[in-house]
Amino acid sequence: MSSEDNEGDATELLETYDFLLKFIVIGEAGTGKSCLLHHFTHNRFKDHSQHTIGVEFSSRTIKLGEKRIKLQLWDTAGQERFRSVTRSYYRGAAGAILVYDITNRSSFTNLFRWLEDARALASPHLVTVLVGNKSDREEDREVEWSEASQWASQNGVHFVETSSLSGDNVESPFLLAARAILLSIESGVLDPEKAGSGVSYGDRALRRVNSSSRLSFGSLSGRKKRNPIRLKIKDLVPSPLQGRCC
Amino acid sequence: MASTSTRSARPPFNSSSPSSSSQANLRNQEDKLKGSTAARNPISVRLHKVLATNYDDPAIREALETLSDLYRNRDDVGKRASEEVGSSQTGGSIAVEKLTVGSGIAARARKNLRRDAEIKLTQSTQQFLKAFKEVDSKLDGLQEHIDAMQSRCDEAQGQLQSTNEECKSLLDRAGGLRSARHAVNDRQFAVDSFIIRFSLTENEINTLQSRDIQVDANFFRTMRKADRIIQDARVLMSGDEGPSKAGVEIISTTSQQLEQGYDKIARWCALEFRQFVRDAQLDVSPLMREAVKWLRNRPELLTDALSVLAQTRQATLLNTFMDALTRGGPGGIPRPIEIHAHDPLRYVGDMLAWVHQAIAGEREFLEALFDVKGEDRMVGSVRIFKESEEEEWIQDLMDKAFEKLRSPLRLRVRQTIRSQESSITTYKVANLLTFYNTTMQRTIGEKAGLSNTLNEISDEAYGVFFDTLEAQARNLARTILPDNQDVQPPATLLDHTQILREIISVYTGSLLGNESMDEKREGFRSVLDLTVDASISMCSSVADARKVQKPTWDKDTFLLNCLDHLLVVLRPHDFADYKVKALQDEIESRADLLASDHYQNIIHEAGLADCLAVCNDKTSNEPLSHIGAMQPRELASHLQAFAQWLSSPDVVRSPRLAHLNDQRLADRVHREALRSLAAAYEKVCVEVRKPENRYEAANTVLGGARPFGSLNALRQIMGVGEGSG
Ligand SMILES: Nc1nc2c(ncn2[C@@H]2O[C@H](COP(=O)(O)OP(=O)(O)OP(=O)(O)O)[C@@H](O)[C@H]2O)c(=O)[nH]1
Ligand SMILES: [Mg+2]
Repeated sequence: MSSEDNEGDATELLETYDFLLKFIVIGEAGTGKSCLLHHFTHNRFKDHSQHTIGVEFSSRTIKLGEKRIKLQLWDTAGQERFRSVTRSYYRGAAGAILVYDITNRSSFTNLFRWLEDARALASPHLVTVLVGNKSDREEDREVEWSEASQWASQNGVHFVETSSLSGDNVESPFLLAARAILLSIESGVLDPEKAGSGVSYGDRALRRVNSSSRLSFGSLSGRKKRNPIRLKIKDLVPSPLQGRCC
Repeated sequence: MASTSTRSARPPFNSSSPSSSSQANLRNQEDKLKGSTAARNPISVRLHKVLATNYDDPAIREALETLSDLYRNRDDVGKRASEEVGSSQTGGSIAVEKLTVGSGIAARARKNLRRDAEIKLTQSTQQFLKAFKEVDSKLDGLQEHIDAMQSRCDEAQGQLQSTNEECKSLLDRAGGLRSARHAVNDRQFAVDSFIIRFSLTENEINTLQSRDIQVDANFFRTMRKADRIIQDARVLMSGDEGPSKAGVEIISTTSQQLEQGYDKIARWCALEFRQFVRDAQLDVSPLMREAVKWLRNRPELLTDALSVLAQTRQATLLNTFMDALTRGGPGGIPRPIEIHAHDPLRYVGDMLAWVHQAIAGEREFLEALFDVKGEDRMVGSVRIFKESEEEEWIQDLMDKAFEKLRSPLRLRVRQTIRSQESSITTYKVANLLTFYNTTMQRTIGEKAGLSNTLNEISDEAYGVFFDTLEAQARNLARTILPDNQDVQPPATLLDHTQILREIISVYTGSLLGNESMDEKREGFRSVLDLTVDASISMCSSVADARKVQKPTWDKDTFLLNCLDHLLVVLRPHDFADYKVKALQDEIESRADLLASDHYQNIIHEAGLADCLAVCNDKTSNEPLSHIGAMQPRELASHLQAFAQWLSSPDVVRSPRLAHLNDQRLADRVHREALRSLAAAYEKVCVEVRKPENRYEAANTVLGGARPFGSLNALRQIMGVGEGSG
């Protein structure tokens, strides 16, 4: 009986989250968006990846410092004929993972169109991470790291190179974006209570925020007054963000 | 003594037989002496004897020491002792006194030893006697005491005996009582354990019943306990003795308490469910999950609680949908979806994408609520619906959650579709609806209410689209050709096929690439049939009308051009292959007609028509040279005309067929006509050469003009081969 209870406590910690963030993954067809996401959610390369039809949804919970963050991930089709469909999903996204293929120059030169669309349609505080994928194919590289990095800083987005084949850096774009968003929440720029921001509180955060009137479960409740959560930047220590990113 | 001290000083390894070695020494010396000359001297023998006397015997030493003590003590301690002795034994004291006199001691001792010893013995014996006498009298007293004690003891023994006999029954009773107490204690313990195991404590009962105590981990612990009690009690009662009264009572009491617990969970859930009013994804606490798990044992309670949830979600989703439509995000960003109502595709697309995202969120929420593990699967990919209880609940709740949202969605989509004038836009919207329908059905299943709505609105969109297409077809049918209409496809047809082209491109754009050939054909068949058939029938009816008005107008070329135009539009698309085939067949048969018509034309133009007619019409036996156009002079002028015609450009290229847009077809038709013409000429030649037709110098008649009766020459001029090639 006591072991059951212990398990209960453990799962409680495992399954709730502080924030829910909506992310979109965009970029030209064949740049490896689906593979990147697959590696991020399944921790392995996706064999025989087909063009995405419309959009696909997946989710994963990550940990940033003390905070547990659930990411709602919308993988969009890069093919032109789906543009009108996928654009509808940008609405209110908090983060955009903008993917190009380092071995395909045109996927890089078209980036501004994607960024423009995303900025026009997503959340006003959209955080974008530029991702140069397929870094394992160094010999076929058509876009230099420095060039992409420069483009990123000119356009005010984060940048990282990844390989969804080797798994190199695949977590970084998501962690980078999540961290930047948490900082916006911390600084009060972003309010998770409002719909359409692409961010909302999870049960874990609500329990900390709310008084015992609502979702109150014993000792955890009623400690703090209803008040926007103050995150400590210290909490958001750069988690496993290795590799080159700006 | 010396040997002993030497021995102790010696190292241990030499100590093997110390005494024998010292004796050996002595013997050595003895032997030496014996060996000497004086060995037999009696004095020396005596001396030897004295010297060899051994005083080391402890018994002797002890005797000597006792003796010396006896005389040494005369001066001090011994003196006093001898005085005491002397007071009672006068004789003795004299002797002792003599002994104590300094140097004379040894001599006196030697003289009086025996006497002294006897005196001492006597003294001691007297002392013994005196002491024993006393002991004897004391022993007598003791004997008396012992006798008395004996009798007392006997008495006591007797008493004890009787008391024992009396106590025995008491003791028996006490033992009985003691073991009875043991048994009672054991039973008490058993009852206590039983109560602990088979009943809830006051606190626990309160936890289950009270509305003031929260539903928490402790509550569920108590629920588990109550549940276990009932189960254990059932197990107990399933034993040989059958249901016992206690068992029945336990089960009924605890069941009651458990039910109160269930009620409490249900109330709590209903309360909590009312709080699920957020649009975005909802987090499910472990307590909530556990509560739902419990309630699944009481489907009625769960159903009630879930209906609260369904209502809450229904209202919430409706509200947030309406907010997204009309208000947008905080501060109007993102902008309200309705702002794009003028752009039907975007408007409908945004609405459906919103719904799709809400579906994904709701599904995740419900999976968490029912603790269904998300399979290794992207939500967008095809879901295989498992027949499980959870899945039923989830689908039911999904259905209900989106129920209220269906009608505003339907209303808006319907309005959008109906207000479109362009069939292309309508078609695009219809395709978009189909796309979303497929996408969402992967998550909600075909049977979901929302799927119904999506089916309905996409059917309706297609309905409107076909209505528009049909209206267009009707308009097309009302086409009136302008007076100056040539044989080119009319403008209305071009407009119509332009629309068809765009619809085709929408269709090809909507294909996902995994459709079978049949699916691709079927997906477009009705559009194709409607538009192409309407075009064909329009063309033929306007052509007929035109022909009536203006008989010289080249209807055949016109129709072939129209058909060819349609063919050009459809030919690149594999899914239109059957239609292309039908058009090609139609073109073939019309081309055949045209070819024969064309032949009629050119045979007239070439001047052979009359001659051939005479040849063909021949019935009587009258020679042809006597009939009409075949009379030699007439024939000659006809042949002359034919020769002339042969040298005109019309032979190579018919001006009439030049209006056919498909020049290869024109070529084919022309050659066919020429071939027929050649056959006609051949026929004339054959007839002229027949003797019964009575031409004088037939060859001269034929040789008057090109091709001089030579079929080969004619074919060469015409550029047509023999036969049908
Ligand atoms: N070498 C290498 N190949 C990759 C990598 N990521 C993806 N690919 C390959 O790139 C191709 C396209 O990958 P997808 O993930 O389907 O591309 P996508 O961006 O989702 O394409 P759309 O869905 O059409 O927009 C696949 O053949 C993958 O095997 C990578 O990191 N390294
Ligand atoms: Mg993809």
